[in-house]
Amino acid sequence: MAIDAALLEIIVGFVPESTELCDKISRDLLQLEEKPGAPAPAPDVYKSLARGLHTLKGTSATLGLDDLSTIGHAMEDVVAPLHKLMKPIPSAIADELLRTLDGFQVRLRAHAEARSNELAEPAPIIERLRDVASGNASASGNANSSGNASASGNANSSGNASASGNASASGDSSTALAKAPEPTEAAVEPSGQDDQGSWRVKMRDVVALFREVERMREMRLRMAERRRLVNATLAAVTKLANIPETGTVYTQLVAISRALQVDGEEIGEVVDSLEQGIKTICTLPLRTIVEPLHRSVRDLCRNTGKEAVLSIVGGELSIDRRILERLKGPLVHLSRNAIDHGIEPPAVRTARGKHRSGALVIRVEQQGNMVFVEVADDGAGIDCDRIRQVAVERGLHSAQELARMTTAEVIRIIFEPGFSTRAQVSGTSGRGVGMDVVLNEVRALGGTVDVQSTFGQGTRFMLVLPADLGSCPILLVRCGEHQFGLPVVSVQGIVAARRERVRSSSDTLKLEYMEELLPMRDLGHLMGLREQEVPSDGQPVLIVQAQGRRAAVAVDEVIGDREQVVHPLPLELRSIASAYQGASIQGFGELLLVLRNDWVVLSAHDATTEVRSAKRRALVVDDSVTARAMHRAVLEAGGYTVHAVGSARGALEQLRHSAYDVIVCDVAMDEMDGVALTKELRGRPDTSTVPIMLVSMSDAENERARGMAAGADGFLSKKDCASGRLLAEITSVVSRKQGLSP
Amino acid sequence: MSVAQGLNGHGGEAMGDDVRALLAARAERLKARLLSKEDEATLMIAQFRVGEGQYAIPLADFRAAVPLRLVTPVPLSPPQVVGILRYQGQVISALSLASLLGIRGWRNDPTVLLVVEAAQGKLIGLDCEEVPKPCSLPLAAVEKARKEGSGPIVELFIPGSVPINLLDLAALFERGGWKRNGH
Repeated sequence: MAIDAALLEIIVGFVPESTELCDKISRDLLQLEEKPGAPAPAPDVYKSLARGLHTLKGTSATLGLDDLSTIGHAMEDVVAPLHKLMKPIPSAIADELLRTLDGFQVRLRAHAEARSNELAEPAPIIERLRDVASGNASASGNANSSGNASASGNANSSGNASASGNASASGDSSTALAKAPEPTEAAVEPSGQDDQGSWRVKMRDVVALFREVERMREMRLRMAERRRLVNATLAAVTKLANIPETGTVYTQLVAISRALQVDGEEIGEVVDSLEQGIKTICTLPLRTIVEPLHRSVRDLCRNTGKEAVLSIVGGELSIDRRILERLKGPLVHLSRNAIDHGIEPPAVRTARGKHRSGALVIRVEQQGNMVFVEVADDGAGIDCDRIRQVAVERGLHSAQELARMTTAEVIRIIFEPGFSTRAQVSGTSGRGVGMDVVLNEVRALGGTVDVQSTFGQGTRFMLVLPADLGSCPILLVRCGEHQFGLPVVSVQGIVAARRERVRSSSDTLKLEYMEELLPMRDLGHLMGLREQEVPSDGQPVLIVQAQGRRAAVAVDEVIGDREQVVHPLPLELRSIASAYQGASIQGFGELLLVLRNDWVVLSAHDATTEVRSAKRRALVVDDSVTARAMHRAVLEAGGYTVHAVGSARGALEQLRHSAYDVIVCDVAMDEMDGVALTKELRGRPDTSTVPIMLVSMSDAENERARGMAAGADGFLSKKDCASGRLLAEITSVVSRKQGLSP
Repeated sequence: MSVAQGLNGHGGEAMGDDVRALLAARAERLKARLLSKEDEATLMIAQFRVGEGQYAIPLADFRAAVPLRLVTPVPLSPPQVVGILRYQGQVISALSLASLLGIRGWRNDPTVLLVVEAAQGKLIGLDCEEVPKPCSLPLAAVEKARKEGSGPIVELFIPGSVPINLLDLAALFERGGWKRNGH
C-alpha cells in the first residue's frame, strides 16, 4: 500500500499516541484478568478498555490503515461479550489480546516507516483471536451452566451475534467492517481526547524556554537585592543628611522601594505560573513508564511459573520526560531481574515461610531536585559466594582480589559487563547485559545506583537521579563564611539550642527533640570547615530527615527560603557528589551549594567521623580564593588538615572555636590586614604563641620588618612561594617554635 | 611632516619621498611575512606564566579569559578544585592549574580564569596569574616534541625563546580521571 507523504507524517505522529493507548489497554486488561480470589471486574475499567480499543480501531480506519482497523475490530469482538456479562477476562484471552496489541504496534511502526508492503496479511491474527474467543464461549457456557442460568443465556446470545459478525468479516474484512454491528458502541463514551488540539514541539525548544524562566527567576532575586540596597542607602542618607521622614526625597525613595517590592512580587507570580506551565509540558507522571511493568512482570511470572505482585508507590510524581525516557530500560531490567533471579517459585517460598506470591515494590520519591527510585523485592537476595565463584570462573577477578573486597564491593560485580550467574543464556537472562545497562543509563543521567541485599530475604536497588528541570524550595543557612542550601522538604523543624537539651559525651553530641535523642553535628564540622563544638544557647539547629532517619544540625544562621533551580555539579566534582545535590544561581550570578539531606543525616549518624584527626592543623587566611586553594594543596601534601577563611574577621571567629598548629596569613587584605591580625593574635593569651607565617606580594625589607615586628614567626613573598619554599618555611617555623616553647 | 599628516591632510600629492619609502618598506615586510607563513605552518597558542614557568594551551581549546571573581569554594572538594562558577548559564568548575601540574608556588595571586574546552563540549576554568598572550609556535617543532615526549605536558625549546610547556588538556584531564564517563 503506497502512502502519500502528508498521510505518512500523520501516521508517524500516531505511533507515540498508539503506544500510550496500548499501554492503557494493557493496564485495563491486566486489571480485568481472571485471578483466584480477585474481586469482580469494575465497570469503569471495562468502559475504559472498550474506549481504548474503539479509539485504536477508529484512528487506524481514519488513517486508511485497514489491517490495523480490522485487528482493532476483532479485539473489540473478543472483549464485547465478556464486557456485556461483566465477567473477568480468562488468562488465555488476555494473553492473546496482549500479544495482538504488541503485533499492532509492530505493524503500525512498519506503516510509519513506509514498509507497509513488507507486512503479511492480518488474517492469521484475526483467526487466532476468533479461536481464543470461541474457546472462551464454550468455557463460559460451562461456567454458566453451573452458575447463573440467565447470564448464560445472555452470553450465548451475545456470543452468537459476535460470531456471526466475525463470519462475515472473514469473507471480506473491509466490507464486513463497514457493515459490522458495533456491540460495544452503547458502552463507549466519547473520551474527548481525540478532539483536543495538540502541537508537536521539540524538547530542546521547551528546555530553552525553561532556561529563560530561570533567568527571570534570577532577575526576581536581583530586584529583591536592589530593593535591599535602596533601603540601606535610604537609611544611610537619612542618618547622614538628617533628612526628615516627611521630606520629599525621603518619601520618593520609600515609594521607589515599595514599587520595587510590588514589581518583584508580580514577576515572582508570573515566573511561578510560567514555570508551572512549562513543567506540565516537560514532565510526565512516572506511572507512564512504571505501569506497563505490570504486564512485563505478569508475563515473566507466567513463563517462569512464579507468582509476584508489583506495587508502585509514588507513580503520580511527574518528572522530566528526558529522564523518563532513559529510565524505562533500567526499570524493565531491574524488575525482570527481580522476578528471574530474586523471587523464588511458590513452593520454595512457602517452604521458607514466605507468602507464596513474591512482593516487588517500586517506590519513587523526590527530595529537592533529586529523584530517588527504589526497586525492592522480598526474594532470595544476592548470593555473594556464587558471585565470587562465577567471577573467578569467568576470569573477571582473582580469588585474592575477591578476598580483599567488602561484601558491598562483591555485590557490585553484578554491574560488570558480561557478568551473570546463569550458566545458560535464556530469553530473560544469562548474557550479563541487563545490570550493565542499568548502571550505564543511570550514570548517563548523572545519577548513581546503590544495592543492598540480605541473602534469603531480598534485594533493594536505589537509583538516585538529578532532576534539573524545575525549581524547588531551598532553605538557606550560613556557616562561618559559607552559605549552603538544603531542600526545605527535608527540614522538619528549626529549634534554638538550649544547653539543658544537649547531651554530650566524650565523642558524641545528642539533642533531645520531641522525646527523642537525635545525633547532633555542627554543619561547619561536617563540611570540614572547623572543629566540632557544642552549640551555644540560642544557636539555630535544623532537624533534618532523610529515608526515615533524623539528625540535628547546628548552623550559624538561618537566612530564609527561596524557590531555586538546582544545577548538577560538574563531573570533576563527582567524588563529592554524595554530599551535594548541586548548585543554584543567586541574584548576581554567584552560586549557592545545595546539600543532599541524606548525606547530612548519614554523616551526622556516622560516629566514626567524630574521631579527632591526629594530623597537624593549619589555618589559612587569604582573601584570594585561588591562593587559599593553593595553600591548602601545599599544606595537605605536607600532612596538614587545613581550614581556610577569607578574612581576618573570619580568622578571629574561627580561632574562637578551634586551635591550630600554624597560621598562614596573607598580608594585603581588606578591613584588617595580616600584620594587624598578627598583632591582635599576639595580644590574646590563647593565640600568643601559635606560629604565624605571613605571605605577601611584596618582598620589600620594610614590609618584612613590619610583619616580624608585629609578632610573625616567618615572612615569605609570593615569589618565594613560586619557588616552592612555603612548606619548608612552615616546617622550619613550626619546629623552631616548638623547640622554643616550654 | 608625519605619516598621518601625509595621508590625512593632503593625500598623495603631499606625500613626501620619505613617507613613500617607509610605506614601501612596510609593504615588503608584510609580503615577506606572508610568504614565510605560507612556508611554515604554525600552531596558535595562548601563552601564560604559572609559578616560574611559561605554559601554553592551543588557542583552539581556549574559549575565554574571565575575571576570577564570583567563584564559590566547594568544601570537601579535592585540593586542585578552587571552586565553581557560572559561565554562560552552566555551572563549571575552576581548577588550580598549579595544583594540577604539581607546581608548589606562584608569583601573583591569580586574577584571571581561562575557560577552556577540556573535552567535547566540556568547559573547565583554569586559574591564571595573568591574561594569556596569543602567540604561534612552529607546528613542526610541536609535532617533533610531541613524538619525543609523552603525557599531558610537551616541553618545547624554540631557539631565542624561553622554554614553553604546551599543555594537552584532554590528556591532562584524562590523567586526573575526569573523562566524561569516568567515575
